[in-house]
Amino acid sequence: MSRLEVYSPEGLRLDGRRWNELRRFQCSINTHANAADGSSYLEQGNNKIITLISGPQEPKLRSQMNVNRATLAITVNITKFSKMERSKSSHKNERRVLEMQTSLARTFEKNVMLHLYPRTSIDVQVHVLQQDGGLMGSLINGITLALIDAGIAMYDYISGVTVGLYDTTPLLDLNSLEENAMSSVTLGVVGKSEKLSLLLVEDKVPLDRLESVLAIGIAGSHRIRELMDEELRKHGKKRLQNASS
Amino acid sequence: MIEAQVSVLDQVDGSAQVTCGTTSVICSVTGPIEPKARQELPSQLALEVVVRPSKGVPNTREKLMEDQIRGVLTPVLVRYLYPRQLCQVCFQILESGEPEQEHSVKELNCCINAAYLALIDAGIALKSSFSSVCMAVLPQSSEIVVNPVTQQLQQSNSTHLVAIQVGQGGQKAESVLLAESNGSFDQQLFLDVLSTGEKECIKVALELRKIVENKIQKDFVWRG
Amino acid sequence: MAKDIEISTSEAKFLVEALKQNQRLDGRGFDELRDVKIELGRDYGDVTVSMGKTRVHCRISCEITQPYEDRPFEGLFFISTEISPMAGPQFENGNNTGEDEIMCARIIEKAVRRSGALDVEGLCIVAGSKCWAVRADVHFLNCDGGFIDASCIAVMTGLLHFKKPDISVSGEQITVHSIEEREPVPLGVLHIPICVSFSFFNPEDTEENIKGDSNNEIAIIDATLKEELLRDGTLTVTLNKNREVVQVSKAGGLPMDALMLMDCCHKAYKITETLTEQILSKLKEDSEGRNKYAAMLSSENNRQM
Repeated sequence: MSRLEVYSPEGLRLDGRRWNELRRFQCSINTHANAADGSSYLEQGNNKIITLISGPQEPKLRSQMNVNRATLAITVNITKFSKMERSKSSHKNERRVLEMQTSLARTFEKNVMLHLYPRTSIDVQVHVLQQDGGLMGSLINGITLALIDAGIAMYDYISGVTVGLYDTTPLLDLNSLEENAMSSVTLGVVGKSEKLSLLLVEDKVPLDRLESVLAIGIAGSHRIRELMDEELRKHGKKRLQNASS
Repeated sequence: MIEAQVSVLDQVDGSAQVTCGTTSVICSVTGPIEPKARQELPSQLALEVVVRPSKGVPNTREKLMEDQIRGVLTPVLVRYLYPRQLCQVCFQILESGEPEQEHSVKELNCCINAAYLALIDAGIALKSSFSSVCMAVLPQSSEIVVNPVTQQLQQSNSTHLVAIQVGQGGQKAESVLLAESNGSFDQQLFLDVLSTGEKECIKVALELRKIVENKIQKDFVWRG
Repeated sequence: MAKDIEISTSEAKFLVEALKQNQRLDGRGFDELRDVKIELGRDYGDVTVSMGKTRVHCRISCEITQPYEDRPFEGLFFISTEISPMAGPQFENGNNTGEDEIMCARIIEKAVRRSGALDVEGLCIVAGSKCWAVRADVHFLNCDGGFIDASCIAVMTGLLHFKKPDISVSGEQITVHSIEEREPVPLGVLHIPICVSFSFFNPEDTEENIKGDSNNEIAIIDATLKEELLRDGTLTVTLNKNREVVQVSKAGGLPMDALMLMDCCHKAYKITETLTEQILSKLKEDSEGRNKYAAMLSSENNRQM
């Protein structure tokens, strides 16, 4: 493969976006109404993710029960066909996936009002049908939408996005080609605030550039929050109409 | 010959770091604690022995050592005193001090002596004291070398490890707990090795006893 | 770290209440690291790091193997961070799938291996057929918090201290010279990443944390085991002396203001500088101890400028 020009002098990226543009963001909720208590389908660029939530429900094992609050369990299933090349392993017990699950669970534990559902468990299943960079951010968005659909009490939205740093220019919402070419920062932002629930930096970033990367990341996350909010309100209106007619 | 520190770790009930020449081992004992259902024995103490090598992942060599150590510890522990309980004995080899692919006597020797000190530190009931010693038999002269160095190990015809139960305040060798031999040797030589081992084990037992005495003196300073 | 240890409510309240009044149970300041003690063993690549009661031993070893087929010009490098019950009865032997164990292993992996701290290309002997495989075995001896920080220091000091036997190559034939025969060669270490962990506590209620503007969250450096068990969130920053952020991991937990996180990174940089200095001076001291006669035998003399 020839060396790709990740960011052209004219300020265009591989897929024709500017530095501060998000990828196409489409989402819908209540997509699997019969299969789960809450569900969402999310497309962020070429990432395609289904999230299913069952719960709050009776825990399957007695030992998982917590008398003070609900237990939140997240399983991430990265399908074998999610990338261009079919992978041989199911990724199920890979450390990378286990780390993702732990990070996601810890992110949402502080944002879901678990104390309202003692002695129950909330199980989140995420299926990644297709991935194209910035997976962690998309997972966060998908879970947020599904949790809202399930009617589970939360303090606020959490929206996630990945930002890269190309030389000195931060690039918003990386795809996989860009992600492989530069170091990336993943953020999980709480609502409209500047508070970060999740922050992962992989590969080297100069300390003095980090602040500008965070700033663009937060702005991007706020935009994603708005997009999700719009879709949710649209969905809510439709359901109200159906109910009244 | 033996350098030892007792109570070196504080998350476990008993611990000891033993250095014997170039071999160094740290041993921890936790117990009696609640076992997992599959480890539980209805009438006696269950024993979990873990040996971790200084380099690489544990494999069959470490499993064999675990088994040998278990063989030494099982008869000396007062197991019926702690029914349905578990005792975890963990060894971490810090410095092997021998070629690991071929030999394990020096590590094993250090482990057994460290286990004795750590078990006492943890306050787990023992029926009697025990100690161990490792030996190598040099070719030609058939000389028995106690605590051989790497070069002697590599030259040797056979290597031996003897662990003995010691009674009467560290004065009398009572019974052999483990005799592990590797290489070629004849019956007479083996008997010689056993009798040398017996004498040396008593020496080691006395040394260990001194270490325990020091520890108790320190622990009971408040008694004045 | 561990799940099985339970702390009584009164003890937990006491700790948080003390933090609100700017006090830590061991009398340290919020930004104060425990004293780091580095001990080097007899062999090359044998390091013990103590931070307070936390004690971590690291052993570097190497052997000759075949490189991966898709990377014929690179040697191999593994880091093993398995926690045995020696560190505390809450850890199970051979079962390292606990959340904290995974996070610890992944962060060390990212900080040291993926950041390219070790020059793996320098480990190649014959392209495609022979290379060095370097292993770092981290042994956790005593657990009192700060495992990630201590093991990162231990691995990096180990790599810097380690020397592999010299070899000479003629065609496919390789001769390994023992340490006595030829001076062994050090590994190529490209930079020294240092991990600094912060623990966050929320002195107010959850709503104030998420909706409020007060930003009263407490951030402390280098938590002990008790503080680790009670914290609401954690952040591990890995930096090197060149002002590069190697890795940051704030995997969920208490939401924190972005500026406060940046502030943490700057604090971590100061610590990185001092720790790097400490590691290097310790290594220098050790190498001087090993070559007592080097200064005497050297032809270097004090020139007058």
